[in-house]
Amino acid sequence: METKVLDVLKDIFELDIVDESCSRANCAAWDSMGQLNLVAELEEIFDVSLEPEEIGSMKSYDDIVRILKSKGVK
Amino acid sequence: MRYVFRNNTVERFFSKEYVFSGYDDISVIPTDFEYYVWWYQVPIKYERQVLAEEIKGYIQKFSFVLQQIVSDKMLVALTMEVFYDTPFTDDDFLLAKAVSDYNATLFEAERLYANLKVVDLSDFTCQYPISELMDWKFYLISQMGMNPKLSKPFQAWWNHKLDSIALKRKKCLVLDLDNTLWGGVLGEEGIDGIQIGGDYPGKAFLYWQEALRQLTKIGVILAICSKNNEQDVWDVWDKNPFIVLKKDDFSAYRINWTNKATNIKELAEELNIGLDSIVFVDDNPTERELVKQMLPMVSVPDFPEHPYMLLEFFKQLVNDYFKVYSITEEDRQKTEQYKAAASRLKSQKSFTDFDEFLESLDIQIIIEAANEFNIQRIAQMTQKTNQFNLTTKRYTDADIRNFMTNGWKIWCISVADKFGNSGITGCAMVNGNKIDTFLLSCRILGKGIETAFAKTLFKILASEGMAELKAQYIPTTKNMQVKDFYDRMGFTCVVEDEYGNKEYVLDLLSMDFSVKKYYHIIVK
Repeated sequence: METKVLDVLKDIFELDIVDESCSRANCAAWDSMGQLNLVAELEEIFDVSLEPEEIGSMKSYDDIVRILKSKGVK
Repeated sequence: MRYVFRNNTVERFFSKEYVFSGYDDISVIPTDFEYYVWWYQVPIKYERQVLAEEIKGYIQKFSFVLQQIVSDKMLVALTMEVFYDTPFTDDDFLLAKAVSDYNATLFEAERLYANLKVVDLSDFTCQYPISELMDWKFYLISQMGMNPKLSKPFQAWWNHKLDSIALKRKKCLVLDLDNTLWGGVLGEEGIDGIQIGGDYPGKAFLYWQEALRQLTKIGVILAICSKNNEQDVWDVWDKNPFIVLKKDDFSAYRINWTNKATNIKELAEELNIGLDSIVFVDDNPTERELVKQMLPMVSVPDFPEHPYMLLEFFKQLVNDYFKVYSITEEDRQKTEQYKAAASRLKSQKSFTDFDEFLESLDIQIIIEAANEFNIQRIAQMTQKTNQFNLTTKRYTDADIRNFMTNGWKIWCISVADKFGNSGITGCAMVNGNKIDTFLLSCRILGKGIETAFAKTLFKILASEGMAELKAQYIPTTKNMQVKDFYDRMGFTCVVEDEYGNKEYVLDLLSMDFSVKKYYHIIVK
């Protein structure tokens, strides 16, 4: 799942390189529209429905992995 | 770049080439965009009257924007669709009415403004159940009026719509016959045995043929590529009463045992269209695969497994390849024009001897002195003809009337062959004993008409007592092909200057005026 998440981040934010440190703070393309695209993509790829509260707290690669794990994604 | 006016979040539905207005913000109408998009969605409001009023307000905003956009920039407006409505009574049509008024206004405006194109959003949304069209979570966190999960299919649909506005559609549908246009194999079942008309499956093929026939009316060219005996197919057309698509509906055909890739390539040449504007439909997967491999530019959709799926398949064909925003009179006539051009070319191919081909064309040439009815056209030709034009002198109709008063001899030529009439397509002007102008439209070249025309004129001049005829060639960047025309006609070049201007003389007394006898020449 972790590599898939990295792929999504790379894809959505059109990054040349991406690693586990990726977050809203250090990624310029990760704005509110980026967040929307990211959520839509994650929901589709991992077949989950993210709660608005989770979306609100999702600010980094680590957050994404933590939230997906809590939903049983492996 | 394109600019989108919107009242909700729609960024996800468009590519990077789009820039977006603020939500429901028309205070800025930026210039310098390639074109504009208008997409307003139903707002969320529970006071019914207020909701209806707000949508009415959108119409005014739309009109304002439409007035502001310069008329050479396109505005593409999407219609409004209702994804969520909670009327409290069954007789409450307030929202439905407001939306239908809104859409009706768009369509009306479209008739008045050439730069406005209205795209019917329901054409996209009808593919989905209403529960999938809107996701409240995304509306409430991001103000998305349409489900963001639909972005990929929406983008594909949208680009398709833009293509159809830009008329980027395929031009020609190449069809197989057996089990494609009718059920069964002609060579085995015979002209009465094939399935067309009557009960199923013949009924499916009948509707399918009726549907295909309508495509020709919007300018799609139909062609046949089938492994059959040509004569058997003619017999079907002549004798099977149920066949809807007749010989005349096809602009070209290859009915033989050659491989289909070669045949399709030839069809493209014959019709003078690119391979990328061809769609090939065949029930046989091997044939489809061959064409896909050898001619990757040709579009080859999968063929339905059962005849009852043909009509759904037809709809898909239209949507994927042939839909346009609107059609013109020229589109409607296209089948005829391609057919005429193709038959000329085809006749040319089957003859080994060029003279034999020309003879088969049954060429009629009418040479007529200038008069009030053709002066306009003669003047127009001097203005427009560049390639086959020996002196490229431009004249008005007043000039020509003036020349006639001064005793110039002026003729024009009309040409017809068995495929059609080209009308007045050339002229010659003789001032005293010098040719001032000699030109022919490119449309009629390639049939030796220039020689027949010139020799006939020389004969007339000789018969009137002229002994010596002078002529001139003035080179331009476009008339190289006639550089040696007078040499070929037997003139002697007496002067050639450094710019390539040539002066000629022809001795009419020793001239051979004979022309090939297959030109039917009438001098009026």
